[in-house]
Amino acid sequence: MTTTRRNLLKFVGGGAAGALLTPAPWRLITDTALWSENWPGIPRPARGEIRARFTHCTLCPAGCAVRARCVNGQPVSLAGVKPHPISHGALCPWGIAGHHLPYHPARVRQGPVKEALAAVSRAITQRGAGERVAVLDLRPGRTVSWTYRRAMAAIDDGLYLAPRQPAYAIDLTAAKTVVSFGAPLFDGWGTPGNVFAARANFRLVQIEPVETRTAALADVWLPIRPGTETAMAAALAGEITIAEAARETGVEEQAISAVKEAIGNSPAVVLAADPGSPLMSLNAKLRALGRTVVARRESPVPDAWKKAAPSTEMAAVPDKAIRVLLIDESLPGGYVPWQDIQPKLAPNAVVVVFSSSSEGYARHAQYVLPAPVYPEMAEDIGPAIDTVAAVFRIAAPLIAPVVPVVNPGELVARIAGLPQTDPLRDRADAIHKAGRGSLLSYADGKSTSMKEVTADDFWKTLNQGGCWMDDTGKKAAPAGLGKFGRSGTCPTAHDLPLAVVVAEARRGGLESPLMSKLERESNLRMTANRVALSPADARSNGIENGGRCVLETACGRLSVVAMIDAGVPAGVVEVAGGPRMADLCGANQRARVVRA
Amino acid sequence: MSANKRYGMSIDIDKCNGCGACMMACAVENNIPPAPEAANDRRGVTWIRVYKVDNHLAYPERRTAFVPVLCQQCGHDTPCVHVCPQQAVDVDPETGIVGQMPERCLGCRYCMVACPYHARYFNWWDPKWPAGMEKTLNPDVAPRMRGVVEKCNFCHGRWHAAQQKAAAAGQREIDAADYVPACVEACPTGALRFGDLSDSSTEVAQDAQRPESFRLLEKIGTEPKIHYRSRRDWVREIASAPRPEGKDGLRG
Repeated sequence: MTTTRRNLLKFVGGGAAGALLTPAPWRLITDTALWSENWPGIPRPARGEIRARFTHCTLCPAGCAVRARCVNGQPVSLAGVKPHPISHGALCPWGIAGHHLPYHPARVRQGPVKEALAAVSRAITQRGAGERVAVLDLRPGRTVSWTYRRAMAAIDDGLYLAPRQPAYAIDLTAAKTVVSFGAPLFDGWGTPGNVFAARANFRLVQIEPVETRTAALADVWLPIRPGTETAMAAALAGEITIAEAARETGVEEQAISAVKEAIGNSPAVVLAADPGSPLMSLNAKLRALGRTVVARRESPVPDAWKKAAPSTEMAAVPDKAIRVLLIDESLPGGYVPWQDIQPKLAPNAVVVVFSSSSEGYARHAQYVLPAPVYPEMAEDIGPAIDTVAAVFRIAAPLIAPVVPVVNPGELVARIAGLPQTDPLRDRADAIHKAGRGSLLSYADGKSTSMKEVTADDFWKTLNQGGCWMDDTGKKAAPAGLGKFGRSGTCPTAHDLPLAVVVAEARRGGLESPLMSKLERESNLRMTANRVALSPADARSNGIENGGRCVLETACGRLSVVAMIDAGVPAGVVEVAGGPRMADLCGANQRARVVRA
Repeated sequence: MSANKRYGMSIDIDKCNGCGACMMACAVENNIPPAPEAANDRRGVTWIRVYKVDNHLAYPERRTAFVPVLCQQCGHDTPCVHVCPQQAVDVDPETGIVGQMPERCLGCRYCMVACPYHARYFNWWDPKWPAGMEKTLNPDVAPRMRGVVEKCNFCHGRWHAAQQKAAAAGQREIDAADYVPACVEACPTGALRFGDLSDSSTEVAQDAQRPESFRLLEKIGTEPKIHYRSRRDWVREIASAPRPEGKDGLRG
């Protein structure tokens, strides 16, 4: 057979046509996208040795136990520790993404440390009579809080300032009925895992003006007129009639009667959004003290520390008395509105804030020093409000600080001239010396009596994942809840017609950039620059859904985006919490929303 | 040869408090990047999204619920599989999981149109993390490029890890405790459960048989493997709506 050009062309053409009937060319087209996955712009996750490390979350006072999955020592995901008797393996969305915080683009990365120290030293030596040096600790109850108290005791006229702390613990496991006056029980109150573990055993009555996440899951939600909580409490305490309370609160008589009956017939506890609220004293009337509201011992401290400055509330400080104010905002905690602090400052006061975020007091301070963030620094976390026994747990650092940071405790100790020691180790030794309680190790889930643990093993376990828990002992009634009495109700007729209701509790400080999933990308959580209004209030002010408007209070103005929501009662503006909103609203939570 | 599984999930809406822990855990596990400034609820990527829904009444009768919506892992006539011109979507016969292969995806988004649950997401932007944060990426999951569709795959990386662990131990079957998707592991309320629907002894299979159990758009016959449940009538009625209303409501 002779091979001609025609035959050759026929063969090539036929082969090409036949190839189209095979999967090969289509497969090639399909896989053309493969190369783009290896673009240099797409990061490649690092590979390496994978192992678990344990620590505790410091983002709120719950201090949940954390198991970090680490690749070459770098945490790549965080999860709860299932056998933990308090946190029960639960983490909140902030805690799940806590390992992103060191890389937050808005993190404070540098600060004038030398200048701040010089200004503080100068102000301390030059201060006049009656001028005080103060530390404001937003998260009291930690070991570093003791350092601050000792430092302030070592300085003449030193003041240790802290938000009011509850002198009691709530035992949810002992309660059959929980009456909550706006306490966000399912959204940031106490330890999430502990609350949900106890949930099946109690009936929840949520009393608050708007349907929050907690109200949505409550057994009963009583939508109350804002500012009339004390009237409801007075009715439950039997100080006013149910009919009077119904008139004042807008809640039906039958519903109030049912709650009163429930709390009379079963072990109950009353919770308030502010743990220092006088509403908490209603627990005495319910005979809850010593049953569901109990006293809690503090973890032992070295004897040498007991000469420490007492805790003082900001309101008790005379005006213009503070010459130097050092604010530890390294961990999000109870924010004291700036308008409560400002009058207490001397005209030439020096304000230094230790923070990783420029959102909080950094807006007001002369010096902002970069503080470590979780999980960069060894820190302990005091017990949460729902932890009945004293605990001691250390947030062992998972990574080294990624920017140069200042350790607030060390710096304050240096200013006061305290000897440089490791307070966490000193306290661990004191706890070990006391010899009570037990040590839970997360790696093997074993609980060991402190009598069987050496001091070194105790310290090692605390740093590798462990928690000391005090003996619960016999329940005792706490002191200092005060006596229940009716206070004035919120005035309704003045030029700020709307009651401000914080429906979305937001922590101060940095949060993972991934929180955009819950905010902008899904509208699941309210962002700080949004407010919600009832259709009637929006209409009367000419405000459209999604429209830009201004939230005005007695303390200032804030540009916000309005959302119209038929679930918000008339006369209420729903906001998300946070430092800016706290500064704007302060104690007098009344506002007006006007079109921008 | 072990019997084929039919992995599914049960979601107790009466327990969900809408905290968003599942969404965060999913994003961390599956290397979903934070959204650029221009992203909103329509262009963001959230493999599981919790919708806030309500009973359409005004205050004080208004009641809300939170409904986590993820790929429903349709077990019959899976719509996204049929429409994909690239064979980038398939149903694993061994697990029943509807998988998405971003390497094959050309970004035509037919599957997004076909999905009755709006559970598929398109990458409008290159995946970018703040400087340094890329160190926190999960090595078991490759980040996806711009221009492809992605969706929940029941944390397939975890399934592979469980398989490897079982193989290393000389076992054919994986230990059920070794394969739990990140959202289920993270849920602090215990509203989410996961397991093999074909095994009647599993909690999830039993949940699916409860009288208050329902599935989204059950009437269209896609046999989703996500079983919701609620004792509230108005919540169950939402299942027949094309999409939970929260997003299109006034707050959206």
